[in-house]
Amino acid sequence: MKLTKARALILIAFSVPVAIELRTVAGFFNVELPLIAVAVIEFLFLALLFVLYGLYGEGSESAA
Amino acid sequence: MATASGGSEFVDKFPDEAAIIKASFLIAFVSLGIGAFFGLIQALHRTNVLRVIDSADYYTLLTGHGVLLAIVFTIFFLCGVFHWAVARSLDRPAESALFSWAWVGLMTTGTVLATVAILGGLVPNLGMSADVLFTFYAPLQAHPIFYIGLAMFIVGTWLSGADWFLSYRAWRQDHPDERIPLQTFMVLTTMIMWYISTLGVAVSVVFFLIPWSLGLIESVNPLLTRTLFWYFGHPIVYFWLMPAYLLWYTVLPKLAGGRLFSDPLARVVFLLFLLLSTPVGIHHQYLDPGIAEGFKFIAMTNTMFLLLPSLLTAFTVVASVEHGARQRGGEGYLRWLGALPWRDPAFTGMALAGAMFAAGGFSGMINAGMNINYLIHNTLWVPGHFHLTVGTAVALTMMAGSYWLVPQVTGTKLYSRPIGLLQVIMWFVGMVFMSNAMHRAGLAGIPRRTAEPQYQNFEFLTPIGSIFELRVQIALGGTLLFLSVVLFLFNILLTSLGEESDRPVDSYLPEPLSGPEGSPRILDNLAMWTGIAAVLVVLAYTLPLAGIIQNGGGLFGGGLPVPATVSAGFDLVMTTVTSAFNTLWGVVA
Repeated sequence: MKLTKARALILIAFSVPVAIELRTVAGFFNVELPLIAVAVIEFLFLALLFVLYGLYGEGSESAA
Repeated sequence: MATASGGSEFVDKFPDEAAIIKASFLIAFVSLGIGAFFGLIQALHRTNVLRVIDSADYYTLLTGHGVLLAIVFTIFFLCGVFHWAVARSLDRPAESALFSWAWVGLMTTGTVLATVAILGGLVPNLGMSADVLFTFYAPLQAHPIFYIGLAMFIVGTWLSGADWFLSYRAWRQDHPDERIPLQTFMVLTTMIMWYISTLGVAVSVVFFLIPWSLGLIESVNPLLTRTLFWYFGHPIVYFWLMPAYLLWYTVLPKLAGGRLFSDPLARVVFLLFLLLSTPVGIHHQYLDPGIAEGFKFIAMTNTMFLLLPSLLTAFTVVASVEHGARQRGGEGYLRWLGALPWRDPAFTGMALAGAMFAAGGFSGMINAGMNINYLIHNTLWVPGHFHLTVGTAVALTMMAGSYWLVPQVTGTKLYSRPIGLLQVIMWFVGMVFMSNAMHRAGLAGIPRRTAEPQYQNFEFLTPIGSIFELRVQIALGGTLLFLSVVLFLFNILLTSLGEESDRPVDSYLPEPLSGPEGSPRILDNLAMWTGIAAVLVVLAYTLPLAGIIQNGGGLFGGGLPVPATVSAGFDLVMTTVTSAFNTLWGVVA
């Protein structure tokens, strides 16, 4: 499935509530996740998405 | 539900209706812009990020934000959508364009008067203010023109409903044996609900608040005006929501590439909202003295019943969207989600609005539960909840729907789909930040409706994170939401100024998978459903109102509400029950 700009935007949008509530979910398992850890995880997700878009996104050779 | 417009566009076929709709949308969008600006100032002020107003003026802006967005924007947009839906689905223009303009004019005049009264609060020398918040009941008092403006606005909505009923009556004469077209059925049931529920606020405004603000009567019974407000104040939630449901049921499946899953189920949902949305308002008054706990329990039970039509909607709309995705080649348990038209801002906005409405529904169940409500009552949790419902499910659906509707009434193509897509996603992200933080802040006990949420020598505590983070989230969310509105207005303005197109949008609406022929004809018996709805209201409200009047010092106050353990006297109860029975009998007969 081609990773379009629209799909990438949707994934970014849905990553926001997940990131915000990540510390709550971790708290269920007695893991105290600091805010900076959440920021790093979200940054890594965005970086991964950026790489995937480069590989499989609109205009990439694989997509073509 | 096949398109009635055939090959021609709506604006070409119904030019008078298109003009009415454009006028309604224009006022809705101007209100949206002003109200959103007020919202930005409030978000920055409360969180102490940027303070450009005095804290006393916060309440003026809060009132403006609530009235302009929750009443003017939503209802003017609703009137435009309903006018479109009735003309389109009945395939006929309104009976009188002059009459249509009359309700637009009356609602507009009412809006201007109420807005002038509110904004007058920013100019102390005027001696005019209406800092009564969206919940305009006693003991807070506004300038008389605020109430007069609101009364004119409400009467205008009544006339708009009459306009659509007249269209329906004319259509019925020509089609005596046909089922009511689905969109018209949705409009009519919503308006019946509105007529029933606005009786409360009309009585409150006309008989108590206007004479009180003019000095004609010395006092009012605060609990009575409060109860009459909430008699209308909860059904208005469904008045906002029903146009969003209309778009989710009849437009979203088409945008997804499919068809509505079940027409009969949609009819049942709208009837359930007609029956159940009014006898629930007391659930806003769990902490009010003067209303017996039993009546609050009944209101809670009725409220929980209201979950049923919302859950039916979730099933039907998601099933319809999944059908559309599979028509587009989507496969698998979840992979079909990728086949949806995410590039289309109209689809994406409505889909995101629906997703957030699910979260709003869950927090609404918390509000509705008597016990757990005590935890969050009058905290920032409550604005967090209704920013998910009216602020996203409704407002985002209306903005997204505009990307499909506005081209139909202007005859021009949408200026920019990418800007539209960015706008709806920005709204989603902004609201995630803001409403999430509001819910969390409410759990920490931070109050609502105040410019100064900080107490001296007191610190709010959160189990995870800090209050500072929540403030940053609210400020960030509010800023993103305002920018989103700016993008929306920019896109719509340039759309309406664009060149006319032969086919600005694909306006065809396909037939449902399961049509109306599969449902019993009794669903179309609107008179009977109206009678049942009235009976439920009488059952839910007669005794509480009798108790409030008796124990609160009569119709016009003069005494304080007594504790909830004191009930109405036996004679009064008998008189009330007898009159209620007579009313019921009159409705049934």
